[in-house]
Amino acid sequence: MKLEGIEGSLILIKQGAEARVFESNFVGRRSVIKERFSKKYRHPLLDSKLTLKRLNAQEARCLTKARKLGVSTPALYAVDPLLHTLTFEYVEGPAVTDVLLEFGLHGIVEERLDDIATQIGDAIGKLHDGGLIHGDLTTSNMLVHNEDKAVDLYVLERALLSMHSSCGNVVSSHHGPYPCCIQEILKAVVCNIEQASSSATKRKKTHNDRMSSSPFCPPGYVKVLCDFGVQ
Amino acid sequence: MKSFEIGIGGISLSLALFVDVTNSKELLELMQAGTLEPEVAFLNASLVPVVFPVLAAAYKTLVAKSRESLTTRTLHSELVYNYSGSKHISESLKRCGISDSTTYILAARFGASSDEMTAIKGHIKGTEIGLDELETRADRAQIHKHYKISVPELGISSVSDAIICRISARDAL
Repeated sequence: MKLEGIEGSLILIKQGAEARVFESNFVGRRSVIKERFSKKYRHPLLDSKLTLKRLNAQEARCLTKARKLGVSTPALYAVDPLLHTLTFEYVEGPAVTDVLLEFGLHGIVEERLDDIATQIGDAIGKLHDGGLIHGDLTTSNMLVHNEDKAVDLYVLERALLSMHSSCGNVVSSHHGPYPCCIQEILKAVVCNIEQASSSATKRKKTHNDRMSSSPFCPPGYVKVLCDFGVQ
Repeated sequence: MKSFEIGIGGISLSLALFVDVTNSKELLELMQAGTLEPEVAFLNASLVPVVFPVLAAAYKTLVAKSRESLTTRTLHSELVYNYSGSKHISESLKRCGISDSTTYILAARFGASSDEMTAIKGHIKGTEIGLDELETRADRAQIHKHYKISVPELGISSVSDAIICRISARDAL
């Protein structure tokens, strides 16, 4: 599939509700191009506020802020205001979702789970301390890079929202509660997967069914919780 | 000296690195008078830890040129401006370009023939060294200061990536 206006061929790797993601080459390095497209069914007033230009600028700003706060994200290689594309560093590694699936199928590696959970908690804690709201926290938006290194919060969809810090320093600076909470959530995830796959033959249901989102589930952060039956 | 494919219009960027340069003042004067031929960009090499960010700035420059939307007067001054990651034009050219006292220079030219590169080298009174020396000779403190790279950021990113993010995001911020 060719992206109009860009030299060289591109391979589409994912299509979301708001953007297409291609694999490409940026001055000799493997890269990812995210192309946003406009939604013609939107109310024009809303659409003018959510222009691609603004969204791309927002994403660039939030990525920059996140990095300054010490949160690992893919590097931004280029922004094209005409084609409405963002070019990122290609990050190698599985999504956290896939790592959990692996655990579900072949058993949990406690150490690895602990490590991932801690890093997720650290990252979210840093974002929130810095006044950034992710807006779409899901394990499919997190990549495990270099096993021994940080978990990158890589977002495919419009994600990072900036929050004005006018409410003062409400959020506490230590990240104590986060790792424990996330640990429990992830364990619950894995248990559900194990249960589902063990009774797969009986109920004719695959683990994918359990993982699919409920139509009544609110978007964003809460999605993780309600998918896996945690309060 | 080495050439790099930027990926736009088949144009390449040639880079050559020099130490112990003694005639920076002269080079600056010739450049400002517009009489330095062929057109070339002189970057303050202390701010260049590795080649990649320069290539990212070059990419941005060629895209702007192809759309007739250069911010500065020439293609090569645009390269220096883009490398700074700052919107302030004169400040960028001063900080990322050379001054009277600069002794460590990275020369860059788009679509340069070997004759042109030889001519450029002829203008510079200094010793050419390999691009692989960029890493050891870079002034980390100056880089951290100019690009305002925080300590937390260094924990999750290379200096090169930190610079590139600023180069690419500048106009969106």
